[in-house]
Amino acid sequence: MKNIKRFLDAQPTWLTVLASLIVLLIAWQLLVILGDYPAFILPGPADVWRQFQIVLADGRLVRHSLITISEIIPGLLIGLFIAVPLGYMLAKSPLAERLLSPYLIASQAIPVIAIAPLLTIWISSTYWSRVTVAVLVVFFPILINSITGIRSVPPEMYELMASLHATRGQVFSKMELPAAMPMLLTGLKVGATLAVIGTLVGEFVQPRSEGLGYLLVTARYQFKTDLVFVVLIALGAIALSLYGLVSLLERRLLRWQLRDGKSASALQREKVVVISQGSSESIKYVEKEI
Amino acid sequence: MNRFARLLIPLLIILLVLAGCNSTAVEQEASSGGLTQLRLPMGYIPDPQYAPLYVAVDKGYFAEEGLALEFDYSFETDGMALVGANEVPFALVGGDQVILARAQDLPVVYILEWFQKYPIAIVSRQAAGIETPQDLIGRSVGLPGFFGTSYVGYVGLLSANNMTEDQVEAKDIGFTQIENLLSDQVDAVVVFANNEPIQLENMGEAINNLQVADYIDLVHNGVVTNEETIANNPQLVEGFTRAFLRGLKDTIANPDEAYEISKKYVEGLDNSRRDVLDSSIEFWRADTLGLTDGQSWKRTEDLLIEMGLLDHPVADLEKAYTNDFVLKVQP
Repeated sequence: MKNIKRFLDAQPTWLTVLASLIVLLIAWQLLVILGDYPAFILPGPADVWRQFQIVLADGRLVRHSLITISEIIPGLLIGLFIAVPLGYMLAKSPLAERLLSPYLIASQAIPVIAIAPLLTIWISSTYWSRVTVAVLVVFFPILINSITGIRSVPPEMYELMASLHATRGQVFSKMELPAAMPMLLTGLKVGATLAVIGTLVGEFVQPRSEGLGYLLVTARYQFKTDLVFVVLIALGAIALSLYGLVSLLERRLLRWQLRDGKSASALQREKVVVISQGSSESIKYVEKEI
Repeated sequence: MNRFARLLIPLLIILLVLAGCNSTAVEQEASSGGLTQLRLPMGYIPDPQYAPLYVAVDKGYFAEEGLALEFDYSFETDGMALVGANEVPFALVGGDQVILARAQDLPVVYILEWFQKYPIAIVSRQAAGIETPQDLIGRSVGLPGFFGTSYVGYVGLLSANNMTEDQVEAKDIGFTQIENLLSDQVDAVVVFANNEPIQLENMGEAINNLQVADYIDLVHNGVVTNEETIANNPQLVEGFTRAFLRGLKDTIANPDEAYEISKKYVEGLDNSRRDVLDSSIEFWRADTLGLTDGQSWKRTEDLLIEMGLLDHPVADLEKAYTNDFVLKVQP
């Protein structure tokens, strides 16, 4: 077992991903054969591949995927732009937290699927009501991560910035935002995958003749389980792509985070000590370091 | 072992024991009465439209056949898949669904046509002046979606009147037909003929009602089983059909009694849905209750092909339905 692990560790990522995919496909096919499942209960990989080629060739898969993506992206971005400022406000203001957090937490107990049909009536546009469902789903994890990120800034950093006569804007842009960035991006990663689910819920409940949710509903209506699988795999691919994009963003924005295997907060604390000891450092130096 | 694990393990054991107790209770209930427990996927929420089943259970017709029914109000397609996989022996489904399921090799067989007329209608406010299907040309019609029973009925009505979908502006509006109609977002809406028109009339709204069944004969809701159950357990199919038809006959003969019985099965049911039952009964009436017509199956199949939902005719369409049991046990 250790030898296998050592062997896999030595391989490039693409090869291990490919190996795991092959194992998954073999296991799937074996399950179909051993379980003797008819195709309408569990289609095999070959059935799904055949259906994939059909819907790819006739343009349905691309068309419906683009519609769904066009709902996911605004849902995620709007959720982000609402959750981050609100998270900042709640992190900084105990009064705001006391006033709003009970409602925010209670709102998470409301199943989105219960209010999604009402959104169609409240918002006359089916497109925007679907986007709103995605916003509702991504909002909370991004909010919680924003609050945690802002609160993770060590108090010594505020003292240091105060001693350097930093303005409020400088404290936010040079210290709080970079310090909260790892948590924010974690929230965005979670939000990216949840946005896919949120949009799909919207498409289920607010049917239009477009979107992967519609394709899924019609596939179920026609008992085309292989098409159901194609749609599910397409949704998985969209979620993976979004996650990958956020990871790339994370790598770019957090290049400073890991040096010599130390975490961001540990590095910040270290710098505070160093900078505090050498009291003549300028605010510019602090910015550079952070 | 850490503290979390020490707490978790007893909790899991308790849950497993409780789960075990529950299944044992169900088995004991089924065996103690000597009845076979059956789960019946219904396809809709508890409603007086299911009065024939409530009556048959309440009067002991199913018990006389050795059956104990458990109503399962899950979605229609789930019921069909469960029957196709022989997980449950019966479900209430639409005829269009049976054809689509057969096309995907689900070995399902329709044994009882409960709704003799397709209960879809296109409803509009009287002021809109939509009195014939041709009046729909150039107007906007709201649909729950471009799939399912409503869509099939809508296209069926157009097709029967030599009209095409391009001539009408169809909009998918979800299940918000009444709200959209009353707020004039659309000129007409596609609804269940035994439900929304009654609600609109009760609200004092003057409406025009184009019934799909007046223009085309399509197969609608009924009872489906599978080939294996018919081959291995025909007595079960006979017993189920007999009990269902007795409940249906009693409901048609005495709607007042049926509605009162329904109150035991539909939580919080007041008299506001009494008209829905009366309206539904008009869709169930037939000289021979439950009998299905081969012509309507062919017409439904043709329509599904015309709509692009089927690529080609189903092999052995006549195997998709049978009148054998209905004729044998007619009360």
